[in-house]
Amino acid sequence: MRKIVSAAALAVLIAGAFARAQALDGKWWKSPRVTADLNLTSEQSAEIEKIFVRSREKLIDLKADLEKKQLDLQVAMDDKTVNRAAVEKKIEGVENARATLQKTRALMILDMKQVLKPEQWEKLVQRRQERRERLQDRWQERRQMMRENERAAPQGRRPKG
Amino acid sequence: MEEETNTAHLTDPELFSLAVPPVGEPEALPRHLSECQACSRALQEWKGAVRALAEEETEPIDRRGPAEWEALENRTIERMRRAGRTGRGPAVKWAIAIAASLLLAGLLLPARKPARSVPVVQADAAGLSTQDQKDDALLRDVGRLSRGEDSGSWSALAPEPGTATSEEEQL
Repeated sequence: MRKIVSAAALAVLIAGAFARAQALDGKWWKSPRVTADLNLTSEQSAEIEKIFVRSREKLIDLKADLEKKQLDLQVAMDDKTVNRAAVEKKIEGVENARATLQKTRALMILDMKQVLKPEQWEKLVQRRQERRERLQDRWQERRQMMRENERAAPQGRRPKG
Repeated sequence: MEEETNTAHLTDPELFSLAVPPVGEPEALPRHLSECQACSRALQEWKGAVRALAEEETEPIDRRGPAEWEALENRTIERMRRAGRTGRGPAVKWAIAIAASLLLAGLLLPARKPARSVPVVQADAAGLSTQDQKDDALLRDVGRLSRGEDSGSWSALAPEPGTATSEEEQL
């Protein structure tokens, strides 16, 4: 159990350190809009690509490892004769694999950050945050409409299945 | 394999609210969710469908042609149908409404394009190479997995309220 807590704590620390960069998913340096917005030079873009390529193989392996461990755990959890100790070990395996993946990704992002000027980095994070907020607004609107819809025509709960 | 519980299953609006909680005020998870595997899985499916919508609305949005938008509309409806179960009228209505708005956006965006600067349009036309697209998908998967947003997560049966906002973080 201590190992799980350690792995989870590591993941939380890394996630905290990179909370603002969480939304940096995808190959943003290849997006014409982002490169134009940040005034990203071709040299910077090429350097960031190199950093990604250096990490790519490791990311693929770590992702596969995590997915395999998740599958193992799912199988163990679904087993009718579940062995608690064995499941605990598998949970440790999953969380350790996740922490390793998180660490590798975070370090890659850190290297990419070094290529950008501080103002470019700030802008990148800010744009992502703005996009996230827009998306949240849209979801909230839809949610509100759905609630109103439900109030207008109350939906019966499904029978127990 | 559905577990017996003391409470009724969550309704579509309840699942939707859990999948897309209000900003900064995550809703408390109903106890039923931790007891009912069917509802937990349904919630994960809803989250997946919502996440897919969020992803579809992002970066490559202005590279799509009408045919691609139509395919997206069909995929979205299909996803929402898969996520839905019996008696899910409002879910289908929502899927159609969302897909229709995406289709509308797809039709309107090209019309707005000429207002943009020429270099951006040329760069968009270039698009991403197949390898770039694969890399892009890899990075998104890695981001999602490392944040524990994957549906296969061992904790997915009783997700923490804080993780429910993750859909909005997708680009």
